[in-house]
Amino acid sequence: MELDPVILALTQNRLDHISHQMGWVMVRTARSPIFSQAHDFSCFIAGPTGEVVSQADGIPIHTGSGGFGVRAILRDFGDVIAEDDVYLLNDPWAAGGNHLPDWVIARPIFAGGEFVGLTCNRAHQSDIGGGAAGAYNPSATEVFHEGIRLPVLRLVEAGTMRDDLWKLLMLNTRTPHLLDGDLRAMLGSTRIGMERVAALACELGPETALAYFAGVLDHADRCFRAEIAKMPDGVYEAEDRSDNDCFELRDVTVRVRATIAGDTLAIDFSGTDAQIRGFKNSSLGNTHSAVYTALASFLDPSLPHNEGAFRCVDIHAPEGTIVNAEEGAPTTMCTVFCAHEIIHAVWKALAKADPARGCAGWAKNVFGISVGREASGDRYVFYHGAAAAGAGAVDGRDGFNQIGHVCTLGGLTMPNVEVYEQLYPVLFHRQEFRLDAAGPGRWRGGSGADYEVEILTDATHSFRGEGLEYETGYGVNGGGAGAAGHMHLRFADGNTQRAPKFGLESTGPVRFVTQSPGGGGWGDPLERPPASVLRDLRDGIISEETMREVYGVVADEAGRAVDASATAALRARLGGNGPGANLRPMTSSS
Amino acid sequence: MDATHGLTAPPWRVGVDVGGTFTDLVVADAGGRTAVFKVPSVPDDPGAGAIAALEKACAALGLSLAAFLGDCAFFLHGSTVATNTLLEGKGGRVGLLTTAGFRDSLEARRGLRKDPWDHRTPYPPVLVPRYLRLAVRGRIGAEGEEIEPVELDDVRAAIETFRAEGVDSVAICLINSFANPAHEHAAAEIVRQSGLCRWVSVSADIVPIMGEYERASTIAVNAYVMPRVADYLAALADRLAELGLKTRLLMLQSNGGAASLDQLIEQPVNLLLSGPSAGVGAIQHLANGLGEGNLVSMEIGGTSCDVMLMHEGRVAITDSLSVADYDLVTPSVDIHTVGAGGGTIAGIDTAGMMYAGPQGAGARPGPAAYGLGGTRPTVTDAHMVLGRLRPGPYAGGSVTLDLEAAERAIANEVAEPLGLPLAEAAAGIIRIVEQNLLHAVERISIQRGYNPGRFMLVACGGAGPMHGASVGRALGARAVYVPRQSGAFCAIGMQHADVRRDFVHVVMRELGDGVGEALAEGYAALEAQAADALRREGFEPGEVRFGHELDLHYEGQQWDVRVALAPDAAPDEIRAAFEAEYDRQYGHTNPGGRINVSNLRVVGIGKLPPLAEIVFETVERRAEPASVRPVYDQATGGFLETAICDGAAMRPGDFVDGPAVIEEETTTVVIGSGERARVDRLDNYLITFREEG
Repeated sequence: MELDPVILALTQNRLDHISHQMGWVMVRTARSPIFSQAHDFSCFIAGPTGEVVSQADGIPIHTGSGGFGVRAILRDFGDVIAEDDVYLLNDPWAAGGNHLPDWVIARPIFAGGEFVGLTCNRAHQSDIGGGAAGAYNPSATEVFHEGIRLPVLRLVEAGTMRDDLWKLLMLNTRTPHLLDGDLRAMLGSTRIGMERVAALACELGPETALAYFAGVLDHADRCFRAEIAKMPDGVYEAEDRSDNDCFELRDVTVRVRATIAGDTLAIDFSGTDAQIRGFKNSSLGNTHSAVYTALASFLDPSLPHNEGAFRCVDIHAPEGTIVNAEEGAPTTMCTVFCAHEIIHAVWKALAKADPARGCAGWAKNVFGISVGREASGDRYVFYHGAAAAGAGAVDGRDGFNQIGHVCTLGGLTMPNVEVYEQLYPVLFHRQEFRLDAAGPGRWRGGSGADYEVEILTDATHSFRGEGLEYETGYGVNGGGAGAAGHMHLRFADGNTQRAPKFGLESTGPVRFVTQSPGGGGWGDPLERPPASVLRDLRDGIISEETMREVYGVVADEAGRAVDASATAALRARLGGNGPGANLRPMTSSS
Repeated sequence: MDATHGLTAPPWRVGVDVGGTFTDLVVADAGGRTAVFKVPSVPDDPGAGAIAALEKACAALGLSLAAFLGDCAFFLHGSTVATNTLLEGKGGRVGLLTTAGFRDSLEARRGLRKDPWDHRTPYPPVLVPRYLRLAVRGRIGAEGEEIEPVELDDVRAAIETFRAEGVDSVAICLINSFANPAHEHAAAEIVRQSGLCRWVSVSADIVPIMGEYERASTIAVNAYVMPRVADYLAALADRLAELGLKTRLLMLQSNGGAASLDQLIEQPVNLLLSGPSAGVGAIQHLANGLGEGNLVSMEIGGTSCDVMLMHEGRVAITDSLSVADYDLVTPSVDIHTVGAGGGTIAGIDTAGMMYAGPQGAGARPGPAAYGLGGTRPTVTDAHMVLGRLRPGPYAGGSVTLDLEAAERAIANEVAEPLGLPLAEAAAGIIRIVEQNLLHAVERISIQRGYNPGRFMLVACGGAGPMHGASVGRALGARAVYVPRQSGAFCAIGMQHADVRRDFVHVVMRELGDGVGEALAEGYAALEAQAADALRREGFEPGEVRFGHELDLHYEGQQWDVRVALAPDAAPDEIRAAFEAEYDRQYGHTNPGGRINVSNLRVVGIGKLPPLAEIVFETVERRAEPASVRPVYDQATGGFLETAICDGAAMRPGDFVDGPAVIEEETTTVVIGSGERARVDRLDNYLITFREEG
C-alpha cells in the first residue's frame, strides 16, 4: 500500500498524543504518589504482532521492552484474544516482565472486528508482598523473597473482572488500597487509549490503519539506521563494574562488545560476570531497556523511541550472567543497578566509535533509606535524595552538579530541604557542591555534594553505597573521572564510623556526613577555556592547585583575571607530559 | 471605517501591549467603543513603540498628544521588558545571601529538567555566580523557631565583597524564612543601611512559600531584572507625564490584574507574563457578554499558540511559571503554550516524515512570503498557497506578502521531495499544525480534568481565526467564537482588568478542630496586607473585594488542590470542598483520610470602572461578498470559488455560509463548507456547524 506522507505524520502524532493522554489519565487517577510524583510508569501502544508503535510517555528505563510482555500475551492467548479482555503480567521469565514491581496491564484493541493492537501501561506498584515492605528487599537472594510472580493473566474476561483473581492480588500486598486504586487507574488509562486507537483505526479502516502503524515503525527504523550508519564500522569493547554483590565486596563486571556494520549495531554481553546472590541481577527485558536508554540518549534525543527504532540493534545477553539472570534470581534493583553499569558500558563503547558524542559517566548514588518512628509513633521512610551525585559531561555542557539516577536520565528530582524538614524528624546542615570532586575536562563533570543531615530519632538505615570509595563517574576523550563518594555516621558522643556499602544498621540519633561522588569530564582539561577554569576557582569548585596542575591555568595576583601568557606557557609544559598525565584521582579536601 | 475609528468623546481609556514584534494600542472612548492601533515594536527602546502607537492614535483622532493624554482616565501597560531582560541576559549584577551550608540550591535546581532525554542541553546560565552567593550563619527551624541566631557580621563581610564586585542588586533567601522571616529582615536591614545599592529583594516578603529552590530562583530573577525594569518603567512614567498624562500608569501583572508602578517596582518578578496574561480580561469580558462560563481560548500569533481555559467563569491562576527555563513561583494566569503559529516551519525529516513545528521562523526572517530572507516554508506560506491570504500588504502594512516566494518554499522543501502537488503539500502542512493545536487544547482540558467538547472555542490572535473553525470541529466544540479585533486580543483584554494583588501564607497544619484559629489569624494578616496594598492603589477598605483560598492535600502527598471558600468555613465544610475538587481532578477520594492545610491565600481586588457595554441590534441578513476567488477547501480537497467578505462591512446580524473568507483589519477568518459565521450582538463572529446527516 502506498502511504500518504501527510496521513503518516498525522497517524504518528496521534498515536503519541494517545499515549500521552493515557499518562495524563494515569497521573490523575492513580492512588500512589509513585505515579503522580515520581512518574514511575510508562504508557505504550503495540501493534498486532506485539511491536511497540508508540511510547511517548514513560521513564527511560522502560524504553522498548514493553514488547516482551505483549509478545508473551500473544504467545499465551493469541488464539483466543478477544474484545473486552484485559491482561496482567509481571514475571520476567514467564511473561516478559522487567522486574516484579512493574506490573503491565494490556488491553486489546479491535476495530471493525479486527485485532489491531493493544494499549498498555507498565507501572511500579507500592507493595507486592515479598520479604520487605515497599517492593525493595535488599536481603533477597531468590525471586520468591521479592513478591508475587504473575504469568500472563486474563484479569478481565469478556468485560467481566475475575473477582477471584482480584482477591488473590489484594491478598498478596501490604497496601491493598493502593494496589486496588492503581490497578483501576491502569485499567481506566488503557481503556481510554484503546477507545482512541480504535477510533483512529475505524477512521482509516483497519487494514489501512495497520499499514500506517507499520509505516510509523518503518520510519523510526530508517531514522535510527541513518544515525547508526553515521558511526564508523568496527568493533568497540568496553566494561563497567560494581564493587559489590549486595553481600560482599567483589567486582561484578558488565562487558560489552559493540559491532557497528553499516546501519546495524550488535551489542554482545559475552564475558559479562555471572549472576549474583543479591537483587541487582537484570532480566532480559530490563537489559534491552538499558541498552535502548543508552543508545537513545547517546544519539539524537528527538529520534522516535518506538520498537521500530531498535530493529537494527541486535542484543546478545548470555543466560546466567548479571544481564540475563536465570529464572529464580532476585532482580528488583535491576532498573537502577545494574542498569547503570549497562548504560555506562554501552556509552563507553559508543564513545570509542563516535568520540565527539561521548558521554562521561554519571556517578552512582551513595544514598539509601532511613526508617524510624516519629514522636507520634508513626513510621516514616526517609530517602536521602538530597545527596544526589554529579552527572558526567558531554561536549557542550558541564556535568549537572547534582542529578538523579542515570536510568531516569535525571527524571527523578531532588527534594527541597525545607519540605523534608516538614515531613520528617530530620535537620539538614549542609547540601553544597564539593570542592575538587568534579571530573576534570574541557567540559568538567558534576561536582557532587557535601551533604549532612541529622536523623533526630532512632532509626534503621538501609545502605546502598554504589558510588562509595571508588570512582564511578568515568571521564572520556581525555577527561578525568569524578571523585569517589564517602559516607560517615557521626554520633552524638562524637564517635564517627565509616558507613557500610550495603546491609541494614539500627542506630540512635545520628548525623550522616556524606560526600556524594562527582561526574566524569569530557576532553582534555588543558583545553578548557581559562575563563571557565578561573570561574570554577572563584566558585570554589576547584582549588588553586587543581587550576594550575590539572588545568594549567594561572591567574593574576588578585585572582580576578587569567594571566594569558603564563597560562600558555604552563599549558605547553603540561601538555608535553602526554595525554592524561596530569590527571590524578580527585579527592575532596573537605 | 471613518478616520477616528468610530471613537467619539473622552475620557479615553488606553491599553498598550508592547510585544516582541508589534506594539498594540487599544483606545476606548466614553461610550465603550474601542479601536486598535498597531505599530512595530522598538526592541531597543520599548517605550518608543508605545509613544509611536499613541501618536498614531492621536493622528487618527486629530488630537495633540497632550490633549489626548490629558483626557486619559485609565492607562494600563503590558510589557515584555522583564521577560526580555531575562532572555537577553541584560539584568543586574546580583549578590545572594544564603544560609551557611545551602548556597547552591539556586544552581543545583533540584535537578529539574523539562525533557530528561535531552540531557545534552545545559541549564540556562545561573543568575548569581557561586562566588556571589555568600553564606550567613544562623538557622531557623521547620516550625519557625530560631535554632541558631543570625550572624550579622557575615552580612557585613558579604556586603564588602559585593561592593568590590560591583553588585547592584541584592537578593536574600535563608532556609525556612517562610516560617519566620526575622533573619532575612535583619540581614536586609544591614544591607539597606550599608548604602551598597538601591535594590534589595527579600524572599519572605515577595515569595513566602516553602521550598528553598523555588524561592531562591524566584527572588534571584526578581533581583536580576529589577534594575533594568525599574529604570525603564520610571523613565516611561516620566515621559508620559511630561507629555501630559495625568492619571497614574498601571502595569499589567502575570496574574492578569493591574497594579501601579510604585507598587511593582520592588516586585518586577510579577511582570514576567505581563502581556499574555491580559487574555484573561478579554476572555472574562467575552464570557460576561455571552453569558457563557466555559470557554477555551486559542491565541495564535507568529510563533506560538497560547491556550487558556475558563471553567464556570474562572481562569485558573497557578503559582508556577517557567521563563527561559528559569523556575518561578509567582501568581500567573495558567497558559499552555505550544510552538504553532504563522511562522511555524514545516519540512520533511531525514527519514521522509513530514513535520510542522515546533521550530519557527520568528519575526525575522519570518515566513518565506515576507520576502525578508526566509526560505523555509511556514504555515503562513501554506495559507498563501491555499488562497486564504491574499498577496500584498499584511499585518497593518508592516510586511508585504509574496505568493511566489511562498510557493517556491513549499515546492522546494515539501511538495517536490514528497512528489505531492503544491496544494496538497500546503494542505498537509495545515492539517499537521491544526492537529498540534487540537492536541494542545485537549491537553490543557484533559490534564485538568475537563471534557473539551463542553467548551466553546475562542479563536483569536492574528492567526487564530484561520484555524478556529477547523480545530473546533475536530474538538467537538459546540461553536467557535472569533472576536472581531482578534489581532489585539490582549490589548483589548487590558480594558477589562481590575487592580489585583495576591498574598500567600504557609500554614502546614492538619485540618481538624484546632485549625480554625490558625486560619482566622492567617487570613486576618493577609487581609491586612491586601487592604494596605490596595489602599496605596487608592482603594478604601470598603471598595476592596477579598477572595479566600486554601491549598490542601492528603497527608503524605506533596501536591496541593486549591479550593475557594469563605474564610470562616468550618473544618467539615473545608473537607467537603476539598474532596469534591479532588474527586473532580483525580477521580477518587480517600474518605476519612487526614488532610493538611498547606497555604492560605487572599486575593485583594479593587474594581476599576468598567468599560461601557455596547450591545448591538442584530438584523439577520446574508452578507454580500466583496469578491470571489479560488480558495482551497479542506472538506473536498480542491479549490472552490469562495466568497471573500470585507469584515469592515459586516454588521451585527450579517451571516455568511462557508466556504468563505472574512478579511478583517487584524485577522482573517476562514469558514469551511458546512459552517456559518454570523456577527453577533457583541459585534464579534460566532461560527456554528451545520448538523451532520
